[in-house]
Amino acid sequence: MIAAVALVVGVLLGLVLEPTVPIWLQPYLPIAVVAALDAVFGGVRARLDGIFDSRVFVVSFVSNVLVAALIVFLGDKLGVGGQLSTGVVVVLGVRIFGNAAAIRRHLLRA
Amino acid sequence: MTGEHARGAGDESLSRQVLESTRGRRVKHRPRFGAMSTSLLDSLLTDHLDHGYAEAAARKAERAAGDEPPGAARRTGWVLAVGLLLVGFLLAAAARSTAQQAPDSERARQALVRDVESGTVASDALQRRAESLRTQLVRERNAVLAASVTGDQVSRQLRELERAAALVPVTGPGIAVVFGDASPREQLDPATGEPQSVPPEDSGRLRDVDLQSVVNALWAASAEAVAINGKRLAPTTTIRAAGEAILVDLFPVSSPYTIEAIGAPDTLLPRFADSAASRRYQSQAGVFGIRFEVRRSGDLSLPAATGTDLRYAQPLRPSSGATTPPGSGTGSGRPSTGSPGPITPSGGTGSPGTGGGS
Repeated sequence: MIAAVALVVGVLLGLVLEPTVPIWLQPYLPIAVVAALDAVFGGVRARLDGIFDSRVFVVSFVSNVLVAALIVFLGDKLGVGGQLSTGVVVVLGVRIFGNAAAIRRHLLRA
Repeated sequence: MTGEHARGAGDESLSRQVLESTRGRRVKHRPRFGAMSTSLLDSLLTDHLDHGYAEAAARKAERAAGDEPPGAARRTGWVLAVGLLLVGFLLAAAARSTAQQAPDSERARQALVRDVESGTVASDALQRRAESLRTQLVRERNAVLAASVTGDQVSRQLRELERAAALVPVTGPGIAVVFGDASPREQLDPATGEPQSVPPEDSGRLRDVDLQSVVNALWAASAEAVAINGKRLAPTTTIRAAGEAILVDLFPVSSPYTIEAIGAPDTLLPRFADSAASRRYQSQAGVFGIRFEVRRSGDLSLPAATGTDLRYAQPLRPSSGATTPPGSGTGSGRPSTGSPGPITPSGGTGSPGTGGGS
């Protein structure tokens, strides 16, 4: 319950405060979103598996976002930012799909 | 983990036992971990869940027997809340940023288009207003000048000067010269069949010099008013090239150029036809295929020239009264336009049949 309220409040804050993302941060935003989605899907699946742990969820979310941003940052410095971004998106995308499939199996038994 | 190590620190056998039990659990949750030779792709395709959850669950199960600190559930609830708050915030910020960013260039283009359109509308309105103010000014001035004898004289003088300076629209008989580029000749490359670029001096395109010489020949043939494509030429009007375009006082004109000149047709036409410029272009019309036609025109009507700025004249201070004295007021307003340029015809005041102000 408190979690749902927190999520809604977060979305509302993001919409109401109208945070202007600094220009140097903008390349990392899509990657951060994908990393966050990965953490969220992982959390939901863990919840359905009955092994959810909020500390793990928060830590994995924060570290996923930071590591993904770091990889893209390093890639930009090395001149392979685009390729590394693609790599990160592929890996996280595969994980998201896997977790989504597990969630689906849990919920729909199919 | 640290707890396990702390517990097993004293007894080596116990520590090994704990380690083995952990490894056993790991193998159970992550079947591929033990086989390090398994490809990375395999693990990527099967291990989707963060291993932290399994480990945390195992720790929890281990601790379940022991004493759990009170309030832990509450604390984890808050941790989760903060995490989800961050997630929501990130998603919303990303959505906003994307929505803002994506049509940026499109928005900039739209704004520029709007600026251009509103600028055109404003300029048109100002032009119309200037026209109406000018006619109003002329009407008022004539009314004031008509009141006295000297004013009448000044008024007549003023009209002559204005006609010479092309500041009033005029009608009358004259000639029209239609002057056009040669139709572009396709020179095909014999090898490829592609159209070849023709050097500019062979292309049959008219340049600013051509227009200048025809206009000068018209002035020399005692034309009293000349217009190119409906743009009246004032004494200070320039005809010049800017890249491919020809500008008449900053307004681009394009081929075919219709040069209308008002003057006594009986003298204007033969004198112009006899001029060097006319003969040159007559012959070039045959050689290069440019268009050069001269014809009489019984009733031409040329607009007033625009863009005549007063450079030295200043408006008179209304110090002597609310209304401007007629003589001095108009006298101060005209010095710059009163001095005709070098190509102004000498016969500007002659030829009784022409130059009736409208």
